[in-house]
Amino acid sequence: MLDIQNITKDYGPSRALHPVSVSVDKGEFITILGPSGCGKSTLLRILMGISRPSSGEIHLAGKRIDPLPPEARDIAMVFQSYALFPHMSVEKNLGFGLRMKRVDKAEQKRRIAHALEICNLTALSARMPRQLSGGQQQRVALARAIVMQPSLMLFDEPLSNLDAKLRDSLRAELVDLHRKVGATSLYVTHDQAEAMAMSDRILVMNGGRVVESGSPVDLYRRPKHAFTAGFLGLTNLVPVRAHGLQAALPWDGDPVLLTEERNGIARMALRPEAIRLEKAHHSPAEVTSTTFLGSNVLHLVKVAGMELKVTRSGTEPILEPGARVAIAIDGLQHLLVESDSVEAA
Amino acid sequence: MSAIAAPVPLGEKRIRFTEEDRPLIAFGLFTALGLTVLLPLALMFLWSVADGWSPPNIVPAAYTGERWAAVLSNSDILNAGLTSLFVSVVVTLATAVIALPTAWAMARIPFRAKRLVEIFILAPMIIPGLVVAVGIGRLFLSLGLAYSISGVILVQIVGTLPLMIRLMTATLEGIPQELIHAARSLGAGTFGVLIHIILPLCVPGLLAGGLLSFVASFEEFDKTFIVGAPAVQTLPVRLYMYLDPYSMQLPMASVVAFLLLVPALIIFVIAGRVLRDDLMAAGMGKM
Repeated sequence: MLDIQNITKDYGPSRALHPVSVSVDKGEFITILGPSGCGKSTLLRILMGISRPSSGEIHLAGKRIDPLPPEARDIAMVFQSYALFPHMSVEKNLGFGLRMKRVDKAEQKRRIAHALEICNLTALSARMPRQLSGGQQQRVALARAIVMQPSLMLFDEPLSNLDAKLRDSLRAELVDLHRKVGATSLYVTHDQAEAMAMSDRILVMNGGRVVESGSPVDLYRRPKHAFTAGFLGLTNLVPVRAHGLQAALPWDGDPVLLTEERNGIARMALRPEAIRLEKAHHSPAEVTSTTFLGSNVLHLVKVAGMELKVTRSGTEPILEPGARVAIAIDGLQHLLVESDSVEAA
Repeated sequence: MSAIAAPVPLGEKRIRFTEEDRPLIAFGLFTALGLTVLLPLALMFLWSVADGWSPPNIVPAAYTGERWAAVLSNSDILNAGLTSLFVSVVVTLATAVIALPTAWAMARIPFRAKRLVEIFILAPMIIPGLVVAVGIGRLFLSLGLAYSISGVILVQIVGTLPLMIRLMTATLEGIPQELIHAARSLGAGTFGVLIHIILPLCVPGLLAGGLLSFVASFEEFDKTFIVGAPAVQTLPVRLYMYLDPYSMQLPMASVVAFLLLVPALIIFVIAGRVLRDDLMAAGMGKM
């Protein structure tokens, strides 16, 4: 459906976007995740047509779109700031794109009514944007994109202007809407929780490059790069010595079982919840800090010159700082693929 | 005055007005308004209807509607009024048309000499009108534009343009870029964006600038006098003729001054209604 081939962007001598290639299937919901300045906004602007790529091609629904101006692309965008037209009612906002594209009047009416209904806005159709709350404005922005029935919907951090509670409920609404509408969607955010909750696939970006991509579960459980591991939740980067399907940890203890064979020194991203702690009086590992978070407890454990983050279920007895513990690792683990270029930035 | 006697808590420097202060504040504001606006108007009105008003009398001895009748039936004044109206309408429209693209460039396009251009735009506001008028008057004389309506219109635009450009620049700067991107991604081309987004959002600014330009042009004297008089007579030129120190026809001048006030009054009533809405803040997530 959407095929991005080796898109780059240079500003003078500096490269904002290293060759990026992505393809998105019809109906897929893909998230571009990364910290600010990682190039995700640059990529979004290029997709919208506001900015021209320095090289590369973009194809959408079998048509090359990168030389086209924004109005000739079949893309609708939902902005962080909503970008509703302040001088038009909700209904007029929704109808704007259809009027511009000269859609037949009856068809306009039908589509607007449908979009109003699925976005739960029917009662507000005559209101002006300034008479709406933030959440309502964002729903109008969404409806305005849906009404276009575009080949691709772009989302630019659409929830980041809302307060936490509203964000959660709108996130759920968005997922639900995507299921109903089925539009191919590309969602840009720096919020890993949002990315994990909504996406079919996440594309992690850093320093103008795509670090890696995969389903939320794969990226969380089997990240290839330390950056991904660190950006998606808490992690411990532990150097290990691998030998076949086993890896020796820097502290004494049973070797960890690996998902695939490897030999030599490598790093492992250990999730805090994959580490098990048992009280053990003469162990070298010591709990240095305990933070009670309700549903779970975060411990810092000092061992072999490292500080490990470990989470335990909130129902378990709480380990006080100073407690000596034995460390065990559950299940098969995965080694990182080291590559300096993506980690550097 | 209990509000003043109460100790002011630290960190709260602003004085809070209470319900009891309200009549006092109202009294002050209305007095100021009365002294600066209503009293002069009342005096002017008395002058326009007075039939002889010499020093010992506090109010005129007798009243007459003669001058109003004289002025309203005087074809010279009527013609001057029509000339004024025509000049002001053309000046306002031309100012808007010239100011819009300039303001667009100032607001949206980064270019190197922007500060310099800004100073040039503001220059006519900084330099006294009379200086500008004398300079331009000389130039227009050699260009054959002196003593003509087109010359008057041109010279008045010099005066109204700076304000209009400033206002439109501020208005255009206030239109978020994302609104334009949104319109384009919804299928609007350059022309569509201009017609459906930018112009409607400029309406408050255009109205404000237009109203101010109209009033400024309607009351303009220096430049009009130097470039246009005596061939082109606008209302203010007429007014000053009544005010010349040898004849000093205060009653006639008062009537003309009232006529000058009419468009300003109409305009500020319109302005008050139209400019109340703050369109820009809405719709961009700012409540």
